[in-house]
Amino acid sequence: MHAFGEVAEKLRRSTVQVHPFGGRDRGSGSGVIWSAGGLILTNAHVARGPDAEIELWDGRRFPARVTARDPRRDLAALRVDAPALDAAVPGDSHALRPGELVIAVGSPLGFAGALSTGVVHSIGTQWIYADVRLAPGNSGGPLADAHGRVIGINTAVVKGLGAAIPSATALDFVRNGARPALGVSLRPVHLGLQVTEIDRDGAAAIAGLRVGDVLLGRLEDLHAALDAGSETVRVRFLRDDTRRVRETVVRIGARAEAAA
Amino acid sequence: MSTQLAALSDELAAAVKQAERHVVAVHARPRFSSSGVFWKPGVIVTAEHTIRREEEITVTLAGGNTVPATLAGADSGTDIAVLKVEAPGGPGGPPHTDAPAPGTLALAIGRSEDSGVNASLGIISACSGEWRTWRGGQLDRYVRLDLNVFPTSDGGAVINTAGELIGVATTALSRIAGLAIPVSTIERIADQILTRGHVSRGYLGVGLQPVELPDHHKGLIVLSLESSGPAAKGGLLVGDILVALGGRAVAETEELQGTLESHAPGQTVEVAILRGGDSRKVTITIGERPRRG
Repeated sequence: MHAFGEVAEKLRRSTVQVHPFGGRDRGSGSGVIWSAGGLILTNAHVARGPDAEIELWDGRRFPARVTARDPRRDLAALRVDAPALDAAVPGDSHALRPGELVIAVGSPLGFAGALSTGVVHSIGTQWIYADVRLAPGNSGGPLADAHGRVIGINTAVVKGLGAAIPSATALDFVRNGARPALGVSLRPVHLGLQVTEIDRDGAAAIAGLRVGDVLLGRLEDLHAALDAGSETVRVRFLRDDTRRVRETVVRIGARAEAAA
Repeated sequence: MSTQLAALSDELAAAVKQAERHVVAVHARPRFSSSGVFWKPGVIVTAEHTIRREEEITVTLAGGNTVPATLAGADSGTDIAVLKVEAPGGPGGPPHTDAPAPGTLALAIGRSEDSGVNASLGIISACSGEWRTWRGGQLDRYVRLDLNVFPTSDGGAVINTAGELIGVATTALSRIAGLAIPVSTIERIADQILTRGHVSRGYLGVGLQPVELPDHHKGLIVLSLESSGPAAKGGLLVGDILVALGGRAVAETEELQGTLESHAPGQTVEVAILRGGDSRKVTITIGERPRRG
């Protein structure tokens, strides 16, 4: 059956490699050409800096600018100035059924345009899980259905399963931009969520939070507060003295801009 | 043509949809849940090795409800456990009782509480006749799977693309691959568990060792004899060499156990022996193997 090859070839032309500029951390990922006019979607953990270089299926390379990043949903939008790109066709991730055939294209371990196939394993609350073999270079690349329509962005490997961000989430990101973020990396600790990294220009840093602070409350509640639509979020936290609860107001502002 | 691919994709999704109503999540071990399959109304079969406690077992049904279940019994030899639930839900259509040909497309279907039904795809990689597991039970068929059986799908359904049940998935019977415990074995074992609460196996009460006979045949020499056990009562003596049981030659102890599997306790069986170089026949009433613990 040459069907897989046929679907894969189209998909391959809509898949790019994303190389970080400044090269020392060698990790390359993948991306999906979302519009012929030069919008490319990838994972936020692939496009870490303000810009990147993308490589098309035919080897042509273009500089790209990161126009939006949503670390909470692990999505990023890139802009390239390139003529008439082969845009992918988005599918309907809400209509997916376990058992459906899926195809992933990416550059796992540096092999550009590599194809893996499998089925939809299950549909989680946040991710689509696929019984398909992925490797780190698949991050940001497309997961497509049997028609070649992109139904997810491959993002992680969880307990041997490929985990993809649903295309519905990607569409929301393209239309409505990034959701507000604090600009921190958190890890759960005994008392709450400890700040392990902080963006220098991020909302949390501006509000005076530092690495090592422990935010009180659950992650879900924090996300709900960020998504509530208000311009500020009150954050209670501990620093040094665990008996003294401190408080700060983080201005998240209206920095959401549509990625498209 | 990509329409062929889409048709196959639809067929697979439809098979999952058909089977998923009969697949439940089983909560009977720490960390991971496993899966189970409705066998009869109110009766669920699963893989015995995923049942790590006898009480406070619950199952999550296709509708998302989680209900309590009781352990009707389990057989570690064949890795089959039977649960009872007071909930509507019965088996799917008639199962696939023929031997699945190697190369047949197969899906493993499981369920978890968070993400609902799940599926993985692969093929039946091998299928052969009766097979004794390392745990001592007898499967009517050895059905090896070339597909991923994820921890939460262990004990779930293995189906073909028509949605018919081939067996119950287990990762505990082979180190190299998942197996499907065939439908006919489930029928035999689950029926015993439901009527008696356990699986009884034929028992002779002898310690045996394979020996080579002068005519290059093999037999099993009696090294020890349980006093007033079934074999002792039948007149067997230490030093006798068993050559056949119920008309089937026995050269290895596994063969003897396999032959005993098909004899229920209480049945009589004719045993051909060599005693002092002479062929003799003795009749033994098969006993029941004492159960551990």
